[in-house]
Amino acid sequence: MIRAENVTKIFTGRGVTVRAVDGVSTKVDKGEVVCIIGPSGSGKSTFIRCVNGLEKFTEGHVFIDGVDIADRKTNINKIRAEVGMVFQQFNLFPHKTVLENLTLAQRRVRKRNKKDAQEKARALLLKVGIGEKESEYPSRLSGGQQQRVAIARALAMDPKVMLFDEPTSALDPEMVGEVLDVMKTLAREGMTMMVVTHEMGFAREVADRVLFMDEGKVVEEGTPEHFFIEPREDRTKLFLKQVL
Amino acid sequence: MIATDKVWPWKLLLAVILIVTAAGIYGSVSRIDYEWRWYRVPQYFLYKAEDVIKTPFDGVVKNVSVSGSEAVVDLVSLDGEQQQLIVDGETVKVDAGEDLFEGDTIGFVYEWNMGPLLTGLWTTMWISAVSSVFGLLIGLIAGLMKISKNYTVRTLAAIYVEVIRGTPLLVQIFIAYFFFGTVFNLDRNVAGIGALALFAGAYVAEIIRSGIQSIAKGQMEAARSLGMSMPQAMIDVILPQAFKRILPPLSGQFISLIKDSSLVSVIAITDLTKSGREIITSTFATFEIWLVVAAMYLIVTSILSQFVFYLERRYRVSD
Repeated sequence: MIRAENVTKIFTGRGVTVRAVDGVSTKVDKGEVVCIIGPSGSGKSTFIRCVNGLEKFTEGHVFIDGVDIADRKTNINKIRAEVGMVFQQFNLFPHKTVLENLTLAQRRVRKRNKKDAQEKARALLLKVGIGEKESEYPSRLSGGQQQRVAIARALAMDPKVMLFDEPTSALDPEMVGEVLDVMKTLAREGMTMMVVTHEMGFAREVADRVLFMDEGKVVEEGTPEHFFIEPREDRTKLFLKQVL
Repeated sequence: MIATDKVWPWKLLLAVILIVTAAGIYGSVSRIDYEWRWYRVPQYFLYKAEDVIKTPFDGVVKNVSVSGSEAVVDLVSLDGEQQQLIVDGETVKVDAGEDLFEGDTIGFVYEWNMGPLLTGLWTTMWISAVSSVFGLLIGLIAGLMKISKNYTVRTLAAIYVEVIRGTPLLVQIFIAYFFFGTVFNLDRNVAGIGALALFAGAYVAEIIRSGIQSIAKGQMEAARSLGMSMPQAMIDVILPQAFKRILPPLSGQFISLIKDSSLVSVIAITDLTKSGREIITSTFATFEIWLVVAAMYLIVTSILSQFVFYLERRYRVSD
């Protein structure tokens, strides 16, 4: 479903070059849930943003369903419609109601008519547990509710893959659970997911595979059992000691 | 201490300051020898035009019937041709049976006409309105060009903004009329509106650029991540939010434009300012006319600010 080959992102500015992502290769199969963990500044967010081309990478390739997104001939908008993304800061459209947030891209990109788009939107809002908020503006919602709307907005496009970029990091602690529950449900239903997270409990419970990144590189990769119980690398052990 | 925020002492102070200022101005003015002729002003808003109605042929008055304020006069010419004329009831100069020669006065009609202050105001308003629309359009294009990734596009917009903002509007109007007007054979209105629109556009461009850049990067990313194209994201996500945010500076710019439009009077467009000047040359009521002209500009700009205030409140629902 997703295949990353030697993805490298170099930031340059004021004579300093930073290899934020340094030759990352991995793949995510259909129905698989992959969690990416690592310390701040390890390049995991930059990497997941490379996967749907929000960040233009310097070298390497990302194939989504076999299509190379680095290829100039690829229609990136078409790819992105198939790849949902949820951000740390929710990024709901503040000037649109919850329902309009969910219908906008359906109508503009998927060219659905208003009725179909609204039906789809209402069904998804019910699914994420905020059916009654459809005519509210995002500013009236709590962080957890906003993030659930953001997930529903991405799902409204019927994506084949969902990318989550630290979806719970900006939330008050009591709201983390409601968002993780929605994500767990999605995982259980067989959605292909790539999740950058600091929630070790979630990674352990839901992930099929865990990637540990540090300094732009994948340091260790494996099943949660292997990863959390008997990690090989010293860097991983140190990190886990700090966070668990 | 208990915080008290009584407003009335401050309102009183405000009233005192305003009254003292007004009294001061009144005092100074009454010390100079100026004869106020306010009674001469109203006729420049609306005036009654008098039109003489004359007999079109030699003939006889067949009948005169006065009904209310108007009189209907039936005439028959020597060849039997009939004609009915309507004049003001009090001014009818003929009686039934009277013989008339071509050109004799039958009476007068009166008609209310807009005086130069109102026609000038109208000119000011439509010139400002048209320039605003074009200014917004030019500003939107130039503002989007300024944030373009393409060097040439970006620099072209920057040059435009710099040139316009770095030269006086009065000079731009002269150049538009005397230079471009002559070269391209432009009407003075076209030259005037063009200069105003280009002038406003440069400022609007900066306002729009800053508005777009003030929208969080995540908004564009969210829209693009849903598969929306750059133009779709701009139109549906970024610009509506930016517009709401730039409404106050933008309306300030258009209010400025109304006031700046007074400069087109230098290329002989009879706007409110030029009308005022023309009235003064024939009446010497300098103080009265300029005060009235200022008040008229103030009324128009206040109405516009109130409208914008209403818009702002309406858009506030999503905050």
